[in-house]
Amino acid sequence: MNDPYSVLGVSPQATDEEVKRAYRDLARKYHPDNYHDNPLADLASEKMKEINEAYDAITKSREQGGSGAGGYSYGYGAGAYQAQGGAQRQSAARNPQYIQIRNLINANNLVQAEAMLNAIGNHDAEWYYLMGSVYWRKGWMDQAGQYFRTAATMDPSNIEYRNAIQYMNQGGQAYRPSGGMDMMGGDMACNMCQNLICADCCCEMMGGNLIPCIGCR
Amino acid sequence: MYGYVRPVKGELKIREYELFRGVYCGLCHELARRYGPVSRFLVNYDFTFLAMLLAGAEEGKCCSRRCVAHPIRPVRCLGPCDSLSTAADMTVILGWWKLADSADDSRGIQAAGWKAACAMLKRAYKKAAAQRPGFAGAVRENLQALRSLERENCSSVDETADKFALILRSIAQGEADAARRRTLEQLLYHLGRIIYILDAVDDLAEDERTGAYNPLRFRFAPEQGKLSPEDERTLRTGLQMSHNALAGAFALLGENPYSGILSNTVYLGLPAAAQAVFSGVWRAPARLHKDRSSL
Repeated sequence: MNDPYSVLGVSPQATDEEVKRAYRDLARKYHPDNYHDNPLADLASEKMKEINEAYDAITKSREQGGSGAGGYSYGYGAGAYQAQGGAQRQSAARNPQYIQIRNLINANNLVQAEAMLNAIGNHDAEWYYLMGSVYWRKGWMDQAGQYFRTAATMDPSNIEYRNAIQYMNQGGQAYRPSGGMDMMGGDMACNMCQNLICADCCCEMMGGNLIPCIGCR
Repeated sequence: MYGYVRPVKGELKIREYELFRGVYCGLCHELARRYGPVSRFLVNYDFTFLAMLLAGAEEGKCCSRRCVAHPIRPVRCLGPCDSLSTAADMTVILGWWKLADSADDSRGIQAAGWKAACAMLKRAYKKAAAQRPGFAGAVRENLQALRSLERENCSSVDETADKFALILRSIAQGEADAARRRTLEQLLYHLGRIIYILDAVDDLAEDERTGAYNPLRFRFAPEQGKLSPEDERTLRTGLQMSHNALAGAFALLGENPYSGILSNTVYLGLPAAAQAVFSGVWRAPARLHKDRSSL
């Protein structure tokens, strides 16, 4: 493993507080929520693993049991978080072909997924949703939105489709340093608070806490 | 090229600003060195960004030089390096195609002007295309595909933007490290989308007046060169998603000497350019608009 201090970008002389802050900043950057249904999700989760291991190694070597060791790390592993939105979710798919297509989408094999979808004659809500997912991964955001909306109109009770639209309407999500701007014509302050409060709720469920770290700045 | 990809000057550190100027001048000198003085006119901010993005972990050597634009006081300028030569080659290739495109699109004396510029750069283009056959091929293929989409009045913004995005994406194809290549591909693809869509918004009023193709005219129902507030929101949400995809990829790239300038460009410069384009001040003369000149 690389030197844990250089992974977190702090000097070995850094105080516990500085280490924790560096860890939290990086964890916020590579948080799985920022790479939701993203073709680079695997790279981000590798980074997340690397910084988790570095933080654990440092806290262990400093023998600081108790306070925050392990951070809000492992709750963010693959399983739990990917349960949100997009084609990652398990569905009660009626058509076995759809399960196969979902697997292809998750494996980033978009060409084959699209070909299989095009071969299906009967276009139900699930079909539109999966086509939207293919477009989303390809980066064709306008088309993805149109397919997601059709899916939701055809089956308004489906939470998965509604979540996809909600995620689209907020324009997705990514890490931004404080003061960063967005393309909607506003600064990120409001959104950041929302995201943090959201992340804090998640963290508290996992036994961590994010909000105090803003308070101390 | 388009110039949307630039840092917000006022938010740069002075050290960063000088470095940025050095890369811009370095690209200009590299163009002249490799392709002769005429190619200097092709220097632009987008490819300055590219040169910084592709740079390795070590800062290049800077020197002080005089040039046509700075004849009296020498300016600091980045010396020849791999990322500058890549950026210079690609500037010439894409620049030449853009001139050829303009020649096709215009008539009369204007067309003659573009054609003359094309002819002057033909040798430079051939040399650059021989250096980067992969990129030159991708540019030719995708611009042809874009042309035929334009001819059939394609109403999909995604499909037309895809062609331009693929051109930028192909810049990453020479990257040896697989993870870095994937990251750069994703970043450049979405950068291409953003540039294409912003350019379409910027040109909308004029294209409507002249009857030229613009994907937004067929995707939405603009009136007098303006999108309805609802359509604008749809379009900007799409841009926001591309920007997030780009930012996600950017966060995964390692640090290099230009990280500060690059992150200014990504997190502040692009949104500021989008804001200027949507509010209609991008095209206006810089001195009349503080918004525009602060970029």
